[in-house]
Amino acid sequence: MSGDAVVAVRALTKRYGRVQAVAGLDFEVHRGEVCGLLGPNGAGKTTALRMLVGLIRPTAGEARLFDREVRPGAPELARVGAMIEQAAFVPHLSGLRNLRLYWEAGGAPWAEADLDGALAVAGLGSAIERRVKTYSQGMRQRLGLARVLLGRPELLLLDEPTNGLDPQEMRAVRELLRRLSDHGATVLLSSHLLAEIEQICSHVVVMDKGQLVTAGTVSDLLSVNTSAYFEVDDVETARRVLTAAPGVVRVTDETRGLSVELDGTTRAALVVSLVQAGVAVETVTARHQLEDAFLGLVGRHTERHVGKGA
Amino acid sequence: MLRLIRTEMTKQVLRPRTWVALGFLVIVPVIIAVALKLNPPDLSGNGEGPRYFYLATQSGLFLPVAALRVTSAFFLVVIICMFAGDAIASEAGWGNLRYLLMRPVGRGRLLTAKLIVAAIFAVVATALVALSGLVAGVIAFGWHSVTIPFIGLSQSPSQILGHLGLATLLITWGLAGIIAFAFMLSTMTDSAAGAIFGAVGLYIVSLILGEITSLGAIRYGLPVHYYDSWSDLFVRNTFTDDMWRSVLLQIPYVIVFCGIAWWWFHRKDITS
Repeated sequence: MSGDAVVAVRALTKRYGRVQAVAGLDFEVHRGEVCGLLGPNGAGKTTALRMLVGLIRPTAGEARLFDREVRPGAPELARVGAMIEQAAFVPHLSGLRNLRLYWEAGGAPWAEADLDGALAVAGLGSAIERRVKTYSQGMRQRLGLARVLLGRPELLLLDEPTNGLDPQEMRAVRELLRRLSDHGATVLLSSHLLAEIEQICSHVVVMDKGQLVTAGTVSDLLSVNTSAYFEVDDVETARRVLTAAPGVVRVTDETRGLSVELDGTTRAALVVSLVQAGVAVETVTARHQLEDAFLGLVGRHTERHVGKGA
Repeated sequence: MLRLIRTEMTKQVLRPRTWVALGFLVIVPVIIAVALKLNPPDLSGNGEGPRYFYLATQSGLFLPVAALRVTSAFFLVVIICMFAGDAIASEAGWGNLRYLLMRPVGRGRLLTAKLIVAAIFAVVATALVALSGLVAGVIAFGWHSVTIPFIGLSQSPSQILGHLGLATLLITWGLAGIIAFAFMLSTMTDSAAGAIFGAVGLYIVSLILGEITSLGAIRYGLPVHYYDSWSDLFVRNTFTDDMWRSVLLQIPYVIVFCGIAWWWFHRKDITS
């Protein structure tokens, strides 16, 4: 484990009978990084996060936080704010009472919880005094984020943190995570929203079928595979020009334009080719870059997996 | 640890169901008092029940004894099992258990705090029946010494009050094995109802098996075999051997069930 790794996972494995939920997972998250944990449903992301906070015992390997092996109730958990799956609370208590009991159960005085900062995130106003069972899903999720931020933790472990939030709230959460990262907090979050990961994260860990597919910076991952979207006045000619252009892997028809997978060329170079061929280019956008990269990586991993199985 | 106990106590105290359950335990003695006042029993009835009701009309101090006798047979057992069976399973059912355990809270500490709170509420539940019965009884039938017919045993008000306090503890402790079983089930399931009714089931099965004389000495080891012995305090005015047996019999059950709960909960993967 390198010196400033806040999260370190080594050969982490979890089996439930014959089912391998996580298999020999290795990755690190360093101080100040915002790391996205990506993977299709059933990839083992939530199981990995649960092992990181001591909810689940690994079958083999180890999970370390702040250079100490995680065990249930470990003192290091005081430095962690975590939200695993949906935010859940004691339904008959108010939002505020839930926050207080959660905080005090850890043994810390309520005065140290930085409640105002957490409540500013929740944005629940007077509803904070209402029983949680009257809350909508979005309100619960916001209260969950407030709970995560109590005491200004050094490490945030977030599992689908924007679930149930509207677009405005999702943007607010993204900005919050960026601010926290700027102030030195480390964030590990899993999300299905690849655009969200692309906007927030500096690093990614991609999992599939319990295994590590790749880990690195977002820019490293994007350099593996990028794509662009073109809207033109002459689709037939454009398709022919783009297919023949060097560095183009694949051209796919879409409803109003063409999606082009690139490997070794740039959008600007393709625009020049199109214009020289007499095609008027109306729109050029880099799009779903992480999504393309993610699907490519996971697709190749699945093919290898199936190949081994065969 | 005290802070953790306080947080667990707060959850239980602020739960509407707690107040409903305890409210019923307060109301039952009041209903008994009103019924006895309107329709006093005589000594012609069979069984112990009518005799307790008769004595309650002779002195209000005996009404809590009658109320404890009536409620401890089943109703009180269900309520007490509710507090114990709810302890962990409710948190798991709400999905809140994982958030509790993501704090620097040892699982053993959490279990201990939950068990202490369940035990406190078990004592409170039993004491409420006695207290409510005492108030209702004194209002309805006055504050007198009691002389039990047939055996001629007379008890002063202070003796009865002392016995009432002791009976409250004996009744609660007499259910300690059942409480520990409910608590153990609570660590194993996300369904509080499952844990509660599992423990009530053990109580009922123990009662049924206790009636089968062919089981011989096995019956003496059933968790509630000596449970009723507390009433001897009021009719014999002494701490009988069966009361000692009731007290001692709970110890192995508590150790075994709490031990399993502790072992299970420490090994359990928290997925709910």
